[in-house]
Amino acid sequence: MAESYRRSQWSNGLFILPYLSVFAVLLVFPLFWGAWLSLHKVDLFGPGRFVGLGNYTRVLADPVFLQALRNSIIFVLVSVPALVILGLFLALALNKTTRTTSFLRGLFFSSSVLSVTIVTLIWRFVFIPGDGLLAVISEQFGIQPVNFLSTSGWSLFSVGVATVWWCLGLPMMLFLAALQQIPNDLYEAAALDNASPWRVLTRVTLPSIARTIMLVTIIQIVMQFQLFGQAQIMTNGGPNGTSRPLVMYIYEVGFVRWDVGKAAAASEFLFLIILVAAMAQYVISSRKSEVSE
Amino acid sequence: MGFNGAGSPFQRERQTMRRFLLSTAALIALACATSAQAQTKIELQRFFGACDADYGKVTDVSKAVGECGIITSLINKFEADNPDIDVNVTTVEWPGYDQLNAQLASGAAPDVVSMHYSAISDYQSRGLIDPIDDVLSAQGISPDSFTDAARGGVTKEGHLFGLPFDNWTMLFHVNLNLMKQAGLVNADGTPILPTSAEELIAQGKQFKEKTGKPYLVQILANETAAYARVLYTLLQQQNADFFADPTKITLNTPEAKNVVELMKKIKDEGLTTTGLDYAASVTSFTNGDGGIAVNGTWLIGDFVAQSEKEGTALSGGYTVYPVPQLYPGRDSTYADGHSWVMPHKDRTPEQTEAIGKLFKFLAENDFQWARTGHLPAVKAVFAMPEFKALPHRENIAEIAETGRSLPGAVQRQFAIQDIIGEEVGAAVNGDKSIDEALGSAESRINDLLANI
Repeated sequence: MAESYRRSQWSNGLFILPYLSVFAVLLVFPLFWGAWLSLHKVDLFGPGRFVGLGNYTRVLADPVFLQALRNSIIFVLVSVPALVILGLFLALALNKTTRTTSFLRGLFFSSSVLSVTIVTLIWRFVFIPGDGLLAVISEQFGIQPVNFLSTSGWSLFSVGVATVWWCLGLPMMLFLAALQQIPNDLYEAAALDNASPWRVLTRVTLPSIARTIMLVTIIQIVMQFQLFGQAQIMTNGGPNGTSRPLVMYIYEVGFVRWDVGKAAAASEFLFLIILVAAMAQYVISSRKSEVSE
Repeated sequence: MGFNGAGSPFQRERQTMRRFLLSTAALIALACATSAQAQTKIELQRFFGACDADYGKVTDVSKAVGECGIITSLINKFEADNPDIDVNVTTVEWPGYDQLNAQLASGAAPDVVSMHYSAISDYQSRGLIDPIDDVLSAQGISPDSFTDAARGGVTKEGHLFGLPFDNWTMLFHVNLNLMKQAGLVNADGTPILPTSAEELIAQGKQFKEKTGKPYLVQILANETAAYARVLYTLLQQQNADFFADPTKITLNTPEAKNVVELMKKIKDEGLTTTGLDYAASVTSFTNGDGGIAVNGTWLIGDFVAQSEKEGTALSGGYTVYPVPQLYPGRDSTYADGHSWVMPHKDRTPEQTEAIGKLFKFLAENDFQWARTGHLPAVKAVFAMPEFKALPHRENIAEIAETGRSLPGAVQRQFAIQDIIGEEVGAAVNGDKSIDEALGSAESRINDLLANI
């Protein structure tokens, strides 16, 4: 460590300059610009006027914002565990090197490469009343079909189903990569001790991939708080705003109502929420590893 | 000719090659230059859908059906008639204002854009679109050639800010085959339509009893526009001046409550389809799943085409009427329209002239556009025998007098429509009480308008 530090030169930093400049222009600058906009009464087309924290008080007093915030939190609380558990389950089931498992891995990952438009179109065929798959099936069984996309509760649920189906590939792949890193001698030792499969899972497999579980959880929390396309295309946030996520609120305020300052203030709240969620996960994960050491 | 002279076979070959390359390059440059000189390019951005597979090469406009087919073949025809003008069309998802906003914000706006009359005040008040009075007068188009409703829709502060293209409203598209089955057809073959809210419910029940199907086919899911248009229409019919001050809406009124109560009753009694979005509601009506589709003028052409085909649910049994007068106040129906505007940007005089020619062509061919079902924006079209011969136009001609838009000074009409659609939808679906929904809609809209 000390040797490499002595040999390091400032000019080595030039290697990260290309990345750093793109990072600064496309991420750091917009971050601060967004914060600056949130302090102004401004539309999309010109200079605004400084209003201090006025936009923040307007956002917090807006019942539609609070509803969207609640929707986003519920969505994350339901979709992230589903993605982690299903992803882990698929990875465990497909952690073999046979032809069938390779094919199935590809199959389960394939939904991730589709665009949001295709995904929502497919699920619209499933959920739409009248000619939709679920409507047809429930009519076959003589059950009154549910209007999934226009009933409170069901609409957000439907968006969640489409999202889990779409996003499942990445968690599965990350878990598979982690599972293949576990040294085989651990399993051999467990086999010699006559450990049951459940015991192997809970005492060997899961502890070995704990960091990956945490990583997947953080990635999914950050991603699912940014839910937008599926909700906009499938339900348009309805009915009664019950499936409107935070990003859709920001989009509506900024682009449909041209109230960019207020939208920027709402974005800062979203940024803060994602930051806190990610930091909390990070703190918990680092504390756990200390205990185990 | 010595070996070292300029004319050695090797050198000669190289020279020939160089000359060949140079002349080719010059030719290419010349070709580019002449094509650039010859063709004036204008960027046109529109909604109305994409249908290049069917109409990409069609220049015979009379063969086209529907909004997309007609506008696509109109532009094709214009390009064929004017080989010196290249119209580059970009099709955007309806209504396309997000994309336009982004383009305007980044200084990359197209030359001509389709825009609703109801959206013009947003862009005009911020100086984002240019007045087109001079462009029209250069082509000899008089503003007087447009109908009052169309001219009013694009006129702001005494200037025309767009070429008016049509006026449109929501209509009652009637499946006469089902109405006959329900006993709701007069001896002369015209449908029996309600003349009051009570009659609407009664006829709806009769229809449902006789046919087992819902009376109305409405767009009640994933869209807000339909709720807002019905509310505006039925408020106008009660003489409710809900935008007496264009910066403030009044919705907590008995009139508004009447309307939402009626809409809720229609849903609660099972007299309407539920859960259908725009596309599904159109399919549902053409499949014969309900008696009357509450939808726009733009579908007349498509539905007529369906009714002329054998074996469809509408075969020989389609007609269309304005939304009937359900309240004694006055006969009125909410109307809007489509126009072509010019975003504010630098253009060459050639481009401006080309746009003028395009506007002239579109105005001259407004009859073709009126075949979609929209009411013409050009007065003279009403007198054309071809227009009079179009099916069902006499039924809806009265809209020229009864069509009313929101006051021209009301801004953010699309955002207002979204709020109304969401809140009224919540009341109709029983997620909120009617009073709560109207109160919430009013305060949300007034907050929006107070913060422009």
